[in-house]
Amino acid sequence: MAIDGLIVLDNTGRPIIQSGFRLATAAYPLLHIDAFNTAVLKSQRAGDIEPVIYVAPFNVSDPPTACCHVECGDIRILAPVSGDVDPLFAFAFLQTFIDILREYFGTISAATLKDNFDVVYQLLEETLDSGGHPLTTSPNALRDIVLPPSLLSKLLNVAGANITSAINSGSGLGAAGGPFSSPIPWRKAGLKYNSNEIYFDMVEELKAIVNKHGTTLSSSVWGKIETNAKLSGTPDCLLTFTNPHVITDCAFHPCVRLQRVKRDSAMSFVPPDGHFTLAEYRFTPSASATSARFQAAGATSSVLAKENVPIPFLLKSTVELTESGGTFEFILTSRMPSQTLESIVAEMYIGEGAGGVKCVAARGDGGNMGRRGMPDSSSGSSTGSWAFDAKKMVVRWEIPAAPPSSVWSLRGSFSSSSVVRPAHALQVRFAVSSYTFSALKVDQLKVTGEVYKPYKGVRGRATGNIEWRW
Amino acid sequence: MAAPGQDAKFFQRGKIEEFRAELHAAETKDKKFVKRKTVLKKIVANITMGNDMSPLFTDVVQCLGTPLLEIKKMVYLFLVSYGRSKPDQIHLVIPNFLQDCNDRNPLIRALAIRTMSYIPIPVVTDALNENLRHCLKDADPYVRKTAAICVAKLYAADPRRAEKGGFVEQLRDLMLDSNATVVANAVAALSEIGDRQDGVIFKLNLATANKLLAALPESSEWGQIYILDSLLRYVPEKHADAEVMAERIIVQLQHANSAVVLTTIKALLYLMNYMENRRLIDYICKKMGPPLVTLLSSGPEVQYVALRNILLIIQRRPTVLKNDVKVFFCKYNDPIYVKLAKLEIMYRLARAENANEVLAELQEYASEVDIDFVRKAVRSVGRLAIKVEDASDACIQALLNLIETKVSYVVQEAVIVIKDIFRRYPGKYEGVIPTLCQHLDALDEPEAKAAMVWILGQFADRIDNADELLDDLLYTFLDESVEVQLALLTAAVKLFIYKSKSDKAKELVYKVLKWATEDVDNPDLRDRGFMYWRLLAINPTVAGEIVLAEKPAITTDSDRMDRGALDQLLLHTGTLGSIYHKNPETFIRNATGKALKDSPALNAHSRAVLVPVARTQLPPTVVNVPGPGPSESHERNETAPPPVPDLPAPTTSKPTPPTPPLSSENASGDATDDGSDDEGDADEEPRGRANADPYSNLDGAFGNYLADEPRPMGGRQGDDEDLLF
Repeated sequence: MAIDGLIVLDNTGRPIIQSGFRLATAAYPLLHIDAFNTAVLKSQRAGDIEPVIYVAPFNVSDPPTACCHVECGDIRILAPVSGDVDPLFAFAFLQTFIDILREYFGTISAATLKDNFDVVYQLLEETLDSGGHPLTTSPNALRDIVLPPSLLSKLLNVAGANITSAINSGSGLGAAGGPFSSPIPWRKAGLKYNSNEIYFDMVEELKAIVNKHGTTLSSSVWGKIETNAKLSGTPDCLLTFTNPHVITDCAFHPCVRLQRVKRDSAMSFVPPDGHFTLAEYRFTPSASATSARFQAAGATSSVLAKENVPIPFLLKSTVELTESGGTFEFILTSRMPSQTLESIVAEMYIGEGAGGVKCVAARGDGGNMGRRGMPDSSSGSSTGSWAFDAKKMVVRWEIPAAPPSSVWSLRGSFSSSSVVRPAHALQVRFAVSSYTFSALKVDQLKVTGEVYKPYKGVRGRATGNIEWRW
Repeated sequence: MAAPGQDAKFFQRGKIEEFRAELHAAETKDKKFVKRKTVLKKIVANITMGNDMSPLFTDVVQCLGTPLLEIKKMVYLFLVSYGRSKPDQIHLVIPNFLQDCNDRNPLIRALAIRTMSYIPIPVVTDALNENLRHCLKDADPYVRKTAAICVAKLYAADPRRAEKGGFVEQLRDLMLDSNATVVANAVAALSEIGDRQDGVIFKLNLATANKLLAALPESSEWGQIYILDSLLRYVPEKHADAEVMAERIIVQLQHANSAVVLTTIKALLYLMNYMENRRLIDYICKKMGPPLVTLLSSGPEVQYVALRNILLIIQRRPTVLKNDVKVFFCKYNDPIYVKLAKLEIMYRLARAENANEVLAELQEYASEVDIDFVRKAVRSVGRLAIKVEDASDACIQALLNLIETKVSYVVQEAVIVIKDIFRRYPGKYEGVIPTLCQHLDALDEPEAKAAMVWILGQFADRIDNADELLDDLLYTFLDESVEVQLALLTAAVKLFIYKSKSDKAKELVYKVLKWATEDVDNPDLRDRGFMYWRLLAINPTVAGEIVLAEKPAITTDSDRMDRGALDQLLLHTGTLGSIYHKNPETFIRNATGKALKDSPALNAHSRAVLVPVARTQLPPTVVNVPGPGPSESHERNETAPPPVPDLPAPTTSKPTPPTPPLSSENASGDATDDGSDDEGDADEEPRGRANADPYSNLDGAFGNYLADEPRPMGGRQGDDEDLLF
């Protein structure tokens, strides 16, 4: 079970940095870069390259290998594997490595990696052994052995990372009892903060598919508890919830004691320092709870299957296709009881060869546009705006903020030079701040093992990604 | 990427001189070693860019004495890159290595042995041997965990020497270390050694397995993966042992790391083979579903791996995800590889209860843009009709609606599957034939055309103008592909048998037989032509009985994977094998196959289908390893079974195994298809049972989307019940 190494490519497919590949021939990484670039050329859509590419061997007598790859900003990271490796192992490692790069540099781009190549190199050395075994991947421990770039240390400080002690312990040769002296791999010993704070952000995403009759075919809410801990010493935290039954299928950060969760749904943990994801979960709505929370205008709740989370808006669509194009009308009605739907973006692919898109975005149901005296299609924020991306062939409709029960419409037409084959669905994304679908509520946070009482901050944020078919 | 030209060479040489001068200059008046640090950084940058910096070897090595960790690291980096290419100069560094191995900073001790283990040159290995033994017992856990991995490297360079040195025993002791990371790394090293064909066999007993589990909560995610994976090396002797262990690890399904989750599932699936408690098995199956679904909320890469594994798991344990078909509905924006994998799973999970939902989705997909996906969606509608009898009416209607769209590739796919539906439900849907005949002209692909011709011939007695239609089709007989020609030949014969009085039919069959036997070069076609001709000439009645004999009904049940093969593949859950749906020893050199091991606790169903694995067990004394490096040749014991040969075949013809081109096996090709693989092995591997290698026919059956291609119903009654266990 091993990864042969890592190769970082820029967006033209040229390598920027790669690990040693000490156990392979010099041609080996090139072979993988080449296989990847060939796959890119062959694929029609950018995202359609299979994540595990088969790589034919250079010599026929050699066994074939595979190349796992992920995209991140304007770079691609390839992980060639030659044994019977778990590809998830490779992907999990790639994700961890990307997280580490982000910790170190703030943003990840070809330019930052080039600027800090020596740090990246050291990180590669410390995180991945040449035999493919991940070594130290916990950012807390890594900071002891690889110094973050000094120019960026300020930035890191702002981001909340505790760096001063890292510099002190790492720069001296002797560092007695320094690195790895902590008994807990994810937390280092002897942290000190003037004010002890811990923040929990509950971020939930609703993913759903709605058919043309407005029935939710499948929906699920995935949540994360993103945590930022700035606590001194070795605090032992116990986080309890008033309604833990609303969440299920949890996945926890290694610091959470799983046996305790099993016993009474409380999260008991010694947190890592800085940012981490404490837990991921799925929201399971119970029929009564949701209907109470969604008594919105015109919602026909009988249509909604009981186990589905209601979609916080309604979309009515009329699309007519002709030989040479089509016309469409979409009416979106917010069904949120009190919150505002923010940054709504609806996208529709209208097919190869399409063009001549003309639209009118308006507030109101479109039938009586004159009501608010804004009959023009000017893309003001109060009407919503639209744009056509001729490269991706996508019509994009944006509504910056939709208050409860507000109605919005987009009417338009397009022409097509070839057979009209648009996507039969709109992809709608939105966000709601200070809100969660699950209404998961923190009861209290108890800290033992330390004398202080930390400040605790809890926030909620919801996003949605809905496919609405017509 | 290209080889550097002449100019680049000059450029490089100039630079090397420059660096050398700078290094010399830095030897004096270098406050806090800033100068040296800068030059070394530049050199490392050049290594990164792929420039050869090896001429600077002696100069760089001089810096090793500098008492600054950063500089030491860069010099070691240099050594790792060029050490093995300088066997004549490497001795210069040995004293530094030895000194650093005894440094009081654990980071430096670890760095020294790690670097040494990367340089497989005898002088270095000799020095490493002695120091590694100390480092394995170092007081600092960081040094111990690094040393554990170094043993695997040492073993790779010279297995027998590492064994004689007692390193394997030392690793075994480290599995009981107090530090979890050290334990995990010891397990990782032992696994790496155990996975080598020439390595010692790594097995766990109950006591050690329990010790490893105790280290689980404190390990890093990577450590957990190694430990969980190693549980497959433990063979439970009692049902209870397996059950207790499963209960201990099931909590790991809640880990945030997707690889930990999948490895846990692999271990659970393995342990379930040794369990008896039916309720616990059901409970575990129920527990495995949600984490698999959770993986689908990750990025497309993880989704893809998860989907391929789910496809395997639900075949062996159909209760997992039984009620979750909805989570596999495709979104328009999903990458195509995710969509195709979801489509296959949706079909697998389809039952009478959810057939309508699934069908509605498939119809939705049939209007999408991606041609490949649309085709497979249409085909899935047909497979659904064959699989779920209750849904067949709705499926036929859906297919007819699709044909009305007149989109060429949709019509063609629909015709192909309708042919199979006719065979599955004889006498039920022949009423739609006139509709199909209307779209005859739209068919231009061989498979679709052949399917339509088959329908024309088979039901020639119910199609009034069958002779006219066939006549039209025969117009281009000599230009058609063999597949269509064969179908036309048979159809003409069937028409003649149905309507032997008709002059037109007589004329047609004569024309075709003459073409087939005289004008065509293809031997299959000629042979079949002669055969029909003789049949008709000798006894037309018997010919009719033969040609129109009742066909066995087809079903999709029989094409599930062989149980034993499935058990074995599931041992590779989450590995490349599970992505390609092939056993790794068929595509990875030096991979050892995994197989369920028999024990009193192994349940009867699993034992019945047990597949023995051929592992080359080489007596240590016989092996003679000539030199370092990963590719070694071994003297083999004559009596030992030869290893499974490296089969490039399964994948070379299909660069992307998960979605190979549609293979259309017709009846005549079937028999030879499976046989050819077997023959390839036959001379090398004595075969005890005819079915000893369950993978020989995996290729067509699995990597392919058409895994469920309808086939004659086999006599495998009660299979379903078996699978549920």
